Amino acid sequence: MKKFLLVAFLFFGSQEAFAAGGAPCGDYGECDSFKPELNNMESLQLGALTFINHCYGCHSLKYSRWGRISKDLDIPEDIFNDNLVFGANVKLGDRMTGSMKPAVSETWFGIAPPDLTLVTRLHGSDWVYTYLRTFYEDSSMPYGVNNMVYPGAAMPNVLASMQGQQILSCKDFPVIASNGGVRRDENGNDITEEKCGYLKTIEGSGALSAQEFDEVIFNLVNFMTYVGEPSRSDRERMGWYAILFFVVFTALAYLLFREYQKDYH
Amino acid sequence: MTQKSSGFFNWINARLPIVNTYERHLSKHPVPKKVNFWYMFGALASVVLIIQIVSGIWLMFGYENTEEGAFASIEYIMRDIEYGWVIRYMHTTGASMFFAVVYLHMFRGLLYGSYHKPRELVWVFGMTIYLVMMAEGFLGYVLPYGQMSYWGAQVIISLFGAIPYIGESLEIWVRGDYYISGATISRFFALHVVALPLILIALVFMHLVALHEVGAGNPEGVDIEKHLDEDGVPLDSVPFFPYKVLNALVAIGIFGIVFSIIMFFFPEGGGYMLELANFEEANPLVTPEHIAPVWYYSPYYAMLRAVPDKLGGLVVMGAAIAILFVVPWLDRSKAASIRYKGTLSKIAMTVFIISWLMLAWLGTVPVTALRTTLSIIGTIIYFAFFLLMPIYTSIEKTKPVPERL
Amino acid sequence: MEEKITTRRKVLIGMTAAVGAAGASFAVVPFVASWNPSAKAKAIGGPVKVDVSKMQVGQKIQVAWRKQPVFVIRHSKEALDSLSKVESKLDDPSSLKIEEPYRDVNPTRSTSNEYTVIAGVCTHLGCAPKYYPEMESQPWDESWVGGFFCPCHGSMFDIVGRVFKGVPAPTNLKVPPHYFDGSILTIGEERGTA
Repeated sequence: MKKFLLVAFLFFGSQEAFAAGGAPCGDYGECDSFKPELNNMESLQLGALTFINHCYGCHSLKYSRWGRISKDLDIPEDIFNDNLVFGANVKLGDRMTGSMKPAVSETWFGIAPPDLTLVTRLHGSDWVYTYLRTFYEDSSMPYGVNNMVYPGAAMPNVLASMQGQQILSCKDFPVIASNGGVRRDENGNDITEEKCGYLKTIEGSGALSAQEFDEVIFNLVNFMTYVGEPSRSDRERMGWYAILFFVVFTALAYLLFREYQKDYH
Repeated sequence: MTQKSSGFFNWINARLPIVNTYERHLSKHPVPKKVNFWYMFGALASVVLIIQIVSGIWLMFGYENTEEGAFASIEYIMRDIEYGWVIRYMHTTGASMFFAVVYLHMFRGLLYGSYHKPRELVWVFGMTIYLVMMAEGFLGYVLPYGQMSYWGAQVIISLFGAIPYIGESLEIWVRGDYYISGATISRFFALHVVALPLILIALVFMHLVALHEVGAGNPEGVDIEKHLDEDGVPLDSVPFFPYKVLNALVAIGIFGIVFSIIMFFFPEGGGYMLELANFEEANPLVTPEHIAPVWYYSPYYAMLRAVPDKLGGLVVMGAAIAILFVVPWLDRSKAASIRYKGTLSKIAMTVFIISWLMLAWLGTVPVTALRTTLSIIGTIIYFAFFLLMPIYTSIEKTKPVPERL
Repeated sequence: MEEKITTRRKVLIGMTAAVGAAGASFAVVPFVASWNPSAKAKAIGGPVKVDVSKMQVGQKIQVAWRKQPVFVIRHSKEALDSLSKVESKLDDPSSLKIEEPYRDVNPTRSTSNEYTVIAGVCTHLGCAPKYYPEMESQPWDESWVGGFFCPCHGSMFDIVGRVFKGVPAPTNLKVPPHYFDGSILTIGEERGTA
């Protein structure tokens, strides 16, 4: 019997290796990894600010309510009202239904910008984090930019002023010989080959350094991860209590079981 | 128990046999004294059934069975209702756990021959429960009206189209519309929350009554009814209360740990329990890139895809379930338990479980030529295991089954 | 085989049962709490604002707060002055039997010295009382001095919603939380507790 379990375990363990197919982040390949920090209030607050200022103009968060964000992110209501709430006559209990009429946006972009409440759950936070950092200049596109993760995305790079100009470039790579070393020509120089499709940011063209920009995007995606499932940090906190309870309960039940087993063993 | 019963209970019992029933089916019900962990999954299945019924009732308080409102109502439960997410995750985790527990319970049956005479009907009722559960799970998965709900239902309902002559009109009749619409959702909702649960509970009742009539089996395949004490109680048994209740409590505790880990830390089950595409509202005009069933249907889905013919695929998938019903009459072995069966049975069992797990994996991944070949091999092994069972169980040499447990 | 109840068994049974009961009571919390008003219900039941400057003296308007009627009445000086005259007929003129949010602030029972703000829900069985401001004989009271009469079970209240003696309603009509910003009345919250 243990053999079956072992086989089953090995089988499922090896699933990842089997699961080939298209790369999760399109032309970019594997997504950059993103680990949310849902208890980092400062990051979430900054992310919320970035979202409202740069994304909310076109994208709604229609399943989320303003007041919930103010409460969960520890933002006092007056500060929240003055700096984040978008639109007149918005009450804190209202849902964040966006500031754009779908018909208008459809004429602007050819497609209504999707609601983003659940985007991190649909594609994964890794995907969103990579997507937002892989716009590059492409004059063949209507907005002059294309995206590596989602080629043909009908979205302008709204954060370009922070990131600066990002272009596709080529790099020289050493050619690896069959023995594992770098191949050299007869003069002893490394043989290289050119591979293209690498992102390169033009130094000094944006308001932020690459590191600062990554941090802005991290905070933004952290916030979007929170909005995707606002109860997540509660869930993980309560989970420990539930597990602890069942461990104690199991231990006691086991002692009792052993005690009564004496009657028939 | 009897001497403790008060006058009140005697009065009731003379009119409604609750004390007798309680003693017969619960407190004094004799259970084999030596069983292993495989015998806990039946009790766990009834625990999950209760979890599903209770959490399901609570989900109904917030769910809206309309085309416009279904998807948003799930997010309403997840966000706006206090602890709504606890109830929803309990139900979605419970669905997967129900199948996990039932698959292990069924595997136990195969392993120790729980279907052997006189337990054939117990097995048949069990298989009927499994069949109803599959329908129940499918209907429930459609209700959130996400992309995977929509396209999964599209694929499954299209299977009806494979039936000659009436197929196409049957599809429309099942949907009540030309696509999976509010009409489909509201009928699926009623079936999911009322009709099938009623049938399920009735079947569970029959499963238990039939089981208690013939008594539970054991991993040795020993017939404990052969050796009785002066009161007619099997010598190798213990009363259900308190001994087996304590067994069950330990099992429930361990199960609770596993359930909590999944529910609170991995509620999406890596996309195998809650598929990520279902976080997008149904769009009848856009098919997701990769449609896969949730894990518990995947072996049968792999079989469906292995057959390059619409009707053929449906027939193979149906036959794969149908063949489970007749297992009691396919196994000709003198020994019930794998422990006393011959080498052929052990090899067959090993190959079967490996190929079943392989099919389960294949059903969740996109098709490639190699995978289709593997699916065909897996399907052949699946059917061979059952169809050849009368042969290999009768020609092999079994070990003698002991008299006592 | 004999089932013996030893001390060890008793202790273990007690501990297991106690832990189990504690777990069960925590497990019940989500199921109970989920019946509370949802965020949606709370948003819809949020405070409402109404401009009361256009109201005539003696007029009553009805405002819906949480889908329940709230009566706003603009009183004349004389009507307020005569309030003390009905006190002998009242069961609880100073609203001592209920949680009165603005006790002893104004004769109107509200935060304004001119307007009364009361929940239009009879404290008997929840009907909406009707407003009869005229000081004239009524079928239910020959010496009626104006006030509210509930058509369901005949409870009577004065013009600021205080209950009469000898009627089925046990207490005065409730005063909902509210505040005035000039002529803008906000019902459903206290000032500054947004």
